[in-house]
Amino acid sequence: MELLLANLAHGFGVALTLDNLLFALLGALIGTAIGVLPGIGPVATISLLLPITFGQPATTAIIMLAGIYYGAQYGGSTTAILLNLPGEVSSVVTTLEGYKMARNGRAGAALTIAAVGSFFAGSVATVLVAASGPALTQVALSFGPADYFSLMLLGLIISAVLAQGSILKSIAMVVLGVALGLVGTDVQTGQQRFTFGVPELSDGLGFVSIAMGIFGIGEIILNLERPEARSVMSGKVGSLMLTGAEFRRSIPSVLRGTVVGSVLGILPGGGASLAAFGSYMMERKLSKYRHEFGNGAIEGVAGPESANNAAAQTSFIPLLTLGIPANAVMALMVGALIIQGIQPGPRMVEAQPDLFWGLICSMWIGNLMLLVINLPLIGMWVKLLQVPYKYLYPSILVFCAIGVYSLNNSVFDVYQTLFFGILGYIFSKLRMEAAPLLIGFVLGPMMEEHLRRAMLLSRGDPIVFVERPISATLLALGAIVLAAMLLPGLRAGKDKALAE
Amino acid sequence: MKISAKDLWAGGLLVFLAVLGLYINGGFLGLGLEQHTLGTARRMGPGYMPMLVFWIQFGLGAIVFLVGLTGGPDPLERWTKLDLTTLAASVIVGVVIWRVMEAAGYNNNYIQVGGACLVALLVLAISPAWRPLGLTLASFAVFGLALEPLGLILAIVFLCILSALADREHNPISIAGMTVFLCVLCWFVFIKELDIRVPLWPTIFG
Repeated sequence: MELLLANLAHGFGVALTLDNLLFALLGALIGTAIGVLPGIGPVATISLLLPITFGQPATTAIIMLAGIYYGAQYGGSTTAILLNLPGEVSSVVTTLEGYKMARNGRAGAALTIAAVGSFFAGSVATVLVAASGPALTQVALSFGPADYFSLMLLGLIISAVLAQGSILKSIAMVVLGVALGLVGTDVQTGQQRFTFGVPELSDGLGFVSIAMGIFGIGEIILNLERPEARSVMSGKVGSLMLTGAEFRRSIPSVLRGTVVGSVLGILPGGGASLAAFGSYMMERKLSKYRHEFGNGAIEGVAGPESANNAAAQTSFIPLLTLGIPANAVMALMVGALIIQGIQPGPRMVEAQPDLFWGLICSMWIGNLMLLVINLPLIGMWVKLLQVPYKYLYPSILVFCAIGVYSLNNSVFDVYQTLFFGILGYIFSKLRMEAAPLLIGFVLGPMMEEHLRRAMLLSRGDPIVFVERPISATLLALGAIVLAAMLLPGLRAGKDKALAE
Repeated sequence: MKISAKDLWAGGLLVFLAVLGLYINGGFLGLGLEQHTLGTARRMGPGYMPMLVFWIQFGLGAIVFLVGLTGGPDPLERWTKLDLTTLAASVIVGVVIWRVMEAAGYNNNYIQVGGACLVALLVLAISPAWRPLGLTLASFAVFGLALEPLGLILAIVFLCILSALADREHNPISIAGMTVFLCVLCWFVFIKELDIRVPLWPTIFG
């Protein structure tokens, strides 16, 4: 406990330096902005800004990128409530009750409870990250190569199972992602694989190009194809104050949302959107006022909005302790860390105390900033909503193009992004989920390394994966998850939970 | 039987990529483009993991395909004759340009890639249904082509004009305003603040 406090004090020391405060604020502002704007999400934005973070110290870079992710959870609710349009995927369910509240003249109250609930959930989740991080790290240090391989396999399975749409296709997308990760120089022999003699490919396919092509450009093309998806705001925000009754009704929902979000955030493949869905389902079953759902029940805003922000914080736990990204945003964080020369993994807490504790403390500070950014300044964000998409998408394209170019100062990356834009377009037309692909791409090379090391240690005997208790447990969990999804009842439940 | 066309195509794509990967990886009957050493299970060579991954992908793709035979109905969006023609024309034009540029000696830099992509995508954009796809990507290609010889400002101008054509709501004035604004913004952010190393104005004349 004393150690924890000392570490937190150290963390606040790092987070409160002028630079880190400024970049936390910048991240929170950018996050809110892209959260408010429909059609551009944290994955595209973070990949866009990755090149810019090269010049900064690692801690500052991660603090800013993290701010974008949880800032987007705050901003997303604004659009959902005022426009009946999710600013982010994670605020899809907020539209259900939030927009009804706005129609009833309670938009201000809905915005307030979304922000306050998010802040409460974010604070609790941050404490959870601080408390569990070092303990989990100790466990992770006893992992051997076989255990790591099994853990990543479990992560890939869960991320595929929890993705939207067909599980079979999602698993295939994970494998395709692993295959894309094979391109480049083989670490152990130095042989060039799948590079076709192109020197730029010897470092592998560009992570930023893949993310930006599939999520950024692919998204723009789809938005342009269905112009009816854009809409205009109507109505006023009204008073931001909650009535006493609204406040009392929200408390249990916020608490439940915080718990659900914290748990679902840690799961690989989970993250903010799943948490919001989970919480909404829960509120509809458990709330005392469930009969009011569909007519603007404040519980339907308070729960999911708390849950998505809690999940945004706790999804950092697997990354910071095990070095394993739980979702596409975390995969980008791995990319950012590796670019900075930091290998994410259990040794990070000890080797990079500034980064670990500084990030945790800045998360709390960032949440506090977001409360201020979102509530008194709500008028500014409403203005931003009035920027038409026709001005937005060329700007995104310009920033994308300059961003990828500046990665290596090479036009090659621009064309690489173009190629993945085409691929992303095909994927979305064939309903192939791209998020599992990205996770497979990041985990693939690590898995290969651990697989080869484990097999070398076991003299080529694959039994090592079931002999070691940790590895065996993880593999069994993976098998159970897969088997469970074959049960028709559970599958129907998942489809219902993920359907809009 | 209700066919899910989306799943059939998805499965087919996965199988195709897996076979391509296995072929490049080599080791099967002496065929193969890059011929990676397979090694043994104990000492895996560079070709071992690709072999595993692509066989798994082949299997999954085949299952997706088979499930698609009865998983529908889930048809693809309807393509008009114009859509098909422009797609075919775009591929042909792209290949022709590629060949011509190769013959003209442009085969050791990205002008060849960019040129072929740009023209092919512009041909694709003739059909209204492909226009968002064609013009958005073409604007990216023109940026890549223009950036190093013509500088950042002109590259942004070209990108803005081409991409704006993808949206019918734009008019010349809105395009011009947006272009000027983005040029100033990008100059401030990328040149003045971040100082990325890229020419601002044309370099080929100087």
